[in-house]
Parts: sequence; C-alpha cells; structure tokens
Amino acid sequence: MTKRITRALMGMLTVAGTAVLLVAPSATAAPASGSTVTNTTIRIWSDRDRKPAVERVAAAWAASRGVTVEVVEKDFGKIRDDLKTVQAATAPDVIVGAHDWTGELAADGSVVPIIPRAAVSKQFPGYALDAFSYGTSVKRLYGAPVALENIGLVVNTKLAKVPTDFASLQKQALAFKRKKAGNLAIAVPQGANGDAYHMYPFFSGLCGYVFGTNKSGTLNPKNIGLRSPRFLANTPIIDGWNKTGLVNSKVDYGTAKDAFLKGKAAFWITGPWESDTLKQSGISFRIVQVPAIKCKSVPFLGVQGFMVTKFAKQHGVETFAKNLVGDYMMSASAQRSLAAANGRYPANTTAGKQVSDRVLQQFGAAGTGGVPMPNIPQMAAVWSELGGAWVKSTKGAGATKARPAFTTAARNIAAKIG
Amino acid sequence: MSATVAPGEPPARRSASTVAWSLPARAIATFSGTPGLVLKLVLLGLLNALSLWAATILARDGHWVAVGVLAAVTLAVDAIYLSSRRAVPLKFLIPGTLFLVAFQLVPIAYNVNIAFTNWSTGHQLTKVEAIDGIKRNSLAPPEDGRTYTMAAARDADGELVLVLVDEATGDPFVGTRDGLRPLPEGSVALDEMGLVQRAEGYRLLRGQELVAADPALQSYVVPTGDAAIRPEGLELAVELAPTLVYDAEADTFTRKENGVVFRDNGRGSFVAASGEELEPGWRTNVGAHNFRRVAADPLIRAPFVRVFIWTIAFATLTVLLSFALGLFLAIALDRKGMRFLRTYRSLLVIPYAVPAFLSLLVWQGLLNDDFGVVNRVLHLDVPWLFDANWAKASIVLVSLWLTFPYFFLISLGALQSIPAELVEAARVDGAGPLQVFRKITLPLLLIAVAPLLIASFAFNFNNFGNIYFLTGGGPASNDQDVAGATDILISYTYKLAFEAGKGQDFGLASAISIAIFFIVGTISVVSFWRTRALENVR
Repeated sequence: MTKRITRALMGMLTVAGTAVLLVAPSATAAPASGSTVTNTTIRIWSDRDRKPAVERVAAAWAASRGVTVEVVEKDFGKIRDDLKTVQAATAPDVIVGAHDWTGELAADGSVVPIIPRAAVSKQFPGYALDAFSYGTSVKRLYGAPVALENIGLVVNTKLAKVPTDFASLQKQALAFKRKKAGNLAIAVPQGANGDAYHMYPFFSGLCGYVFGTNKSGTLNPKNIGLRSPRFLANTPIIDGWNKTGLVNSKVDYGTAKDAFLKGKAAFWITGPWESDTLKQSGISFRIVQVPAIKCKSVPFLGVQGFMVTKFAKQHGVETFAKNLVGDYMMSASAQRSLAAANGRYPANTTAGKQVSDRVLQQFGAAGTGGVPMPNIPQMAAVWSELGGAWVKSTKGAGATKARPAFTTAARNIAAKIG
Repeated sequence: MSATVAPGEPPARRSASTVAWSLPARAIATFSGTPGLVLKLVLLGLLNALSLWAATILARDGHWVAVGVLAAVTLAVDAIYLSSRRAVPLKFLIPGTLFLVAFQLVPIAYNVNIAFTNWSTGHQLTKVEAIDGIKRNSLAPPEDGRTYTMAAARDADGELVLVLVDEATGDPFVGTRDGLRPLPEGSVALDEMGLVQRAEGYRLLRGQELVAADPALQSYVVPTGDAAIRPEGLELAVELAPTLVYDAEADTFTRKENGVVFRDNGRGSFVAASGEELEPGWRTNVGAHNFRRVAADPLIRAPFVRVFIWTIAFATLTVLLSFALGLFLAIALDRKGMRFLRTYRSLLVIPYAVPAFLSLLVWQGLLNDDFGVVNRVLHLDVPWLFDANWAKASIVLVSLWLTFPYFFLISLGALQSIPAELVEAARVDGAGPLQVFRKITLPLLLIAVAPLLIASFAFNFNNFGNIYFLTGGGPASNDQDVAGATDILISYTYKLAFEAGKGQDFGLASAISIAIFFIVGTISVVSFWRTRALENVR
C-alpha cells in the first residue's frame, strides 16, 4: 500500500516538474520583453496589396518618433470582422479599412474619432472626408482617406464613339447589339444575385438615391430613395431598356468582362481593379462617366483609408496612433505611395495632381460628383434588395415592371431596417 | 461458390479476430512496464505544461472561473491516470468525454448564452466603455472654438503641461489641468513646418519621454469654461465641448442644446422618448427578447410557412432523389467482371470529391439562361435561375449532383453486406428481379442506410452553402416579402441576422438557430423512432 502511494507521489512530482520546466522559460521571457520601453509598438492591420507600402511609410514615421511599427497582414474583409472578436493583447491600434465600414465600427465603438489639422484637411475633397464621417448625434471623422475608387463607362473606341449624351450611348449600343447575335449593348454586370454597385450610375441617372440626409447632413435610414416620386416617375425608362435589351440582368461579371475583351460589347461598366486587364488587352479604350439620363449618372465612390481603434488607448499609444493616421498618413507624399500600392487614385488632391497613369486619371474623372456609398450600418439591408429590383425588372421576357419592383424593394428595406 | 466457402468461414473469422485482439493486448503489455510509465509521465507532463501555460494567460485576462475549471480538470486527469486499478474505466472514458465537452457542449452553451444577449452591431462594449464612447463621440467644437499647435512639455516642477500656439492668431499659451494661461509673446518658437520648436521655461518632450507620456496625454484636459482643450495626436490640440452631459446619479444623458433626456432602455442603449438612440450601446443580457422577436416579428412570421415548406421539400427531395440515383447506379455497377468497373466508379465519385462551393459557382455559370452552357448546348430557353419555380428545380438538381455520390458509395458498400444466399433463395422461389429488389434488397439495405438518410436530411435542412452560392436565396419571390423564392430557413436566418437592422445581430441569429435546432431535432427523433420498425424485417 505504502509502495503504491510512493509511486503515485513520485509520478505527480515528475509530472509537475516536467510542466514547470516546460513553462518556465516562456513565462520568464514574457515580462522581460514587455518591460523595456524601447519596444513601444504600433500594430497596424493591412491587406496584402498595401502591406509593403504601409510598412515603408509607417517605418519612416516610426523612426522619427522612436517607436516601432508592426504591420500584420489580413484579408481585407476580415479586418472588419476580426476587430469584433480580437483579444486586447493582440489587437491592432490602426487598421486599413473601407469608408463604408465607418458607421458599423463607430456604432460598435471600435474606432475613435480623429481631428486632422485644418491645413491637412484642406488637401482633401469634402466628399472623401464626408465618406469617413459618421454620427447619429454629432458627425465626426473616423478615418483618414487614402485611396479613391469608382466605376466608369469604358468605351471601345474602335467599335463606338465616346458618347456625349445618353441618347447617343443608347443608339450606338443598340445598333452594336443588333449587328450580331451574342453581342451585348452595355456590358454591365448583374447576374442572378444582382449588383447594385455596378448599376448605380443608371439608378442615380434616373434620379434615384439610397438614403436621404437629415438637416445636420447625416444619412437618414428612414428616407429611402428607391421610392422617391422623382425616381419612380422615371421607372418606365427602365422598362424600355428591358424591352430593347440595353441592360440585361442575365449578364454577370464574367460575361460582361468576356464580352468586352472579345469585342462583343462596345461599352463596359467597370472600375480601376481592371486597369491591368484593360492595359494588357490591346483594345483602344477611353473611360468616361455614364452620360446623364434624367439626372447626372454618377457612380458610387469607395474610399479606403486608415482608422484608429479603441485598443490604441488601452495600449497607451493613442496620441501616437492619431498622429500617424490623422497627420502623417494624410500627407501628400505618404498618400502617393499608399494609393499607388493598390492601383488607386490618391484621396489627397495634391497627390492626385501628380498621378500620371492615364487609366487612373480617366477613372478619377469618371467619378466626378460621385456619391460615397452610404456608410451607415443600415446599408446592409439595401444591397440585395436594390440589386434584386434591377434583376427583376431587366431580366428580359417575363420581367416585373420597374415601378412595382423598386417599390417592393423599398418596402422590404424599410421592413428590414425596422 | 458460397457453398464451398461457407463451412470454412466461422473458424477463419475467429482466428482473424484473435489475432486482431492480441495485437492491442500485446501493445498494452509493452507499455505497462517502465517504458509505459515513462511515456505516460511525459504525456501527462506535456498536458500539465499546456494547462499551466493556458492558466497563466487566462489568469492574466482575469478569467478566474476558467482557471479553476482548468485546474480541476487537469488535476482530475492526472489523478485518474496516475492511480492504479480503480479508475480503469475512467481512463478509457476521459478522452472522449473531454472532446465531447470541448467541441459539442461548450459551443452549444456559448450559442445559447448569446441568444439571451443583444450582441449585435452597436452592442459590443461594456456599459462603462459605452458611456465613455458616447461622451467622446459627443464632443464638438463650440462656437469660436480654437485649435492650437501643441507640444507636450514639462514645466520647472516637472509637471506635464501643453505648450500651445493659437493657429488663428499665433498667440502662445500654456495649458495645465487648471486652465489656459497666456505666455509672453516670442517665448515659443515654431519651426519651418509650423510645429513647436522650443518654449522658454519649458522642456519639450521628445523620443522615449514622449512615448511614456502617452497615457497621460490621452486623457489630458485643459478646462476653458464649458469646453476644454484636448490633445489630438501629438502636435494638435482642439477646443471641444460636450453636446451630451452624463448624470451618473440618474444614469442618463441629457442633450445640452434642447434638454432631451436619454435613458437606459434595459436593452443596452440610451434612448430618448422620441426613440432616438445614442451610439455606441453595450452588450447585455436581454432575457427572452430575441425569442419573442422570433415569435412575433412580422418579418419572420409572414414568410415562415412558405419558407418552412420549401425547406422540407428541398431536404426531402435532395435526399430521396440522391438516394434513388445513388442506389440505381450502385446496383448497375455491382456486377462482377464488368470492364472498366473501377473507372466508372471513380468517375461517379468526382462530384463528391470537388469542393462543393466550387461546383456551386460553376453550376451558377452553367445555368445562366442567356449565356450558360446548359441552355446553349441543349438549345433550351429555360430561366434556370431567374424564375422562382425553375430556380427551385435548379437547386434540387444541383444538390442531387452534389449528394448522389455519397449515397452511391454507401449503397455500394451496403449491397455487399446483403447475403447472396437470400437473393439466390428468392430467385429459386421464382421471384423476378424487381420483386427481389423490393422484398429483399431494399428492406435489408434500409436497415443500414436509413439512419444515414435521416442524417443527410438534417444536413440538407441546414444546407446554407447550396442556397447561398447558387441563388443567394433568390430570385426575389413575387409575393413580396423579404424571403427569396429559394430561401430555406437557415439562409433566411442569415438575411435577417446579417442584412437587416444595423447589419449583424448575433443574438437574434443564435435564437433562430436554436429554434431551427428544435425543428430538426424533432424531425430526426421521430424519424429514428420510426426506423426501428425496419429492424423487424430481420
């Protein structure tokens, strides 16, 4: 009996000993690295494309400030999702993000407002700052805009003339479609699930909008522009497009791209992410804004930039993070390399003037007067409904009339927002 | 052939099993000596090291309950494996039980826990953090509010102060926690960048000293009456005034401008009488609120019956058709001596081997009705994905494509286990092939396959991927509600929880998934109960 007890005791001692031996080195190593002051680190979450540029730009800043910067690579979409669940110890102080995350992240309290110097803000177009501004009560700026993107009308100049008005676009597109079976009039992607983003120029051209604004200039989720009388009065035009096949919801992204590249469409609606494809295609093209229909046919604007998270405060680096984001990252030189890294147009106008890439310049011009995608979290309820209304009303034979399609979509959006 | 082997079979099988039993037995014998003890101690040591490491992290984050549970479990495991005879059954039970708890019970408990909270967009923080956030977000420049070029500095006593230069007038000031004090003109010099270079009587903080001052700077406030000057970054200070005032006693926010009072609504938000809500809110327990919404929300109730019927139809059709096709092919390929048998069988398994989401996206392209291969090759004009009824047919067809190889494999295996004597006996008695199939093969097969049919039904009942990747729940149904024509319960849940309100509503999603769990659970239990009847065939 005593022998058995001794054996068990010996066993326990060995087990405990091994455990301590294994853990001890890591346990003693941890506080040592944390206690040295020189290791104050600002952690940035960036997407893969921008990571090298962020590292370069931030490192120059960090060196002058006596801190270090660690850039962690994340899938772009994951940055927003992971910020919700990350543990404070490994959380980022600064993130790369899209402006339409602003409302959600601010409502969550995950990002904090910044105030750049007046001399810095002046270098940015109002809409770029507006895109990152949010507040149900007081409208504040939550991000430093870095890169702009928007879609435009790409015209194959061998197959068509650059249209100056919508009638000319329509006439040329339909004539081209009739020329040969399999030709598309305007290659604008939709597909079964719809694509409200690529259809937005046609929506705004018919005087539609997503959300109206309050007196204070903030977006009002109760004011839904899909059912505004002005737009609804123009919906018969959509029925006309459906009849002639000017726009066809069965065209999905791949089909549209393929048709344009193979010369089966003279007009393509796309954005700067296809810059390289366009340049390498050998097609002679020009990018313009879709000509005005009943109103200006402006595209949605997407703005990407940097935001300071709530964790910067906990990590004791908030003033540094704000200096990096609200000052350094907004300077013309930083903006040039950051925007170029992702093949986008810089938000800083001084930097924008130095863009020499012809395609980027033309996309930039096509975005004139564009509307930033609504950045309030209620936008989640809009995408599938707005896209779905276009799909229903432009699917060719058996299509729903545009008026009921968009009215239904507006009602569904209102119901979903609640 | 079976007649010649049959007599020899039982002894052969017994000898095979004794060999199979002796191997682990021998292995156990090897490890029960000193090497076994050493191995055991090393493994337990590793486990303890892991626990100790986890415990330090949990303790650092203040999860004391978790530390306690972890310690208790680790000590229990040590005790069980170090004690000799008495705990032998436990030694076998413990690993499985631990995994069951870790990967089944904990997630379920977590899910149920979430269902009773308001965890969603705008409700992520604690209440204290949320109050801080509201205060911070409510700051706005007052009328004629000023901005200053700033530098953090220490005065003669070593106190942290802000050296400030008014951006509009160029007048120098020093800001302390007591207020703003003008400095003599010319006592602060700016560099060519417009930043503070030096200030007489103050030592500007640079480098590591500035890094160390960050926590103090974050909350540094220079009061100027109602408003206050706060650092924004390292070189700018801005005069800001709160537009909302928090009353800690009453736990309310009041808007300065018009006196509107925002009260805690008990569901994680400060709300005014008008319904206006302050952001951010906080995460809190909301009791059965989410379940009441599931029961009462017209957004859920209106399309529920239609969506539910389609969900059942989708799952049933997918399982039955796949089983029928899989079984048919299995019987067809069950012949011995057929040429290229292996090739045929391998080809049929391909849809199962390709990742489902990939096949789904490919099918989406193939079924495009103007440009898709299916319509072009077959010279059809079928609106596969754009018409409500055709989309349902497409979903079932594609699910059939994805699922039949599973039943093909299962049936192929199960067919081998049906004793050939029974079939032969039936044939001798004059049964035709159809009769043999109906009276012998199918009933015997079902004994083995029925539980798998039920499992597959439960899986397809919640087959989010097939719906989401092929049609996204669409096309929009013409009876005008939010649910699309091909939405099943789980894909509709996704729309409600992640595309409604302010985006993400984890609490509601958990509540609905619990409701779906009970639906699937009920159907499965009833089905299993009824399949017992099948066993009587024997």
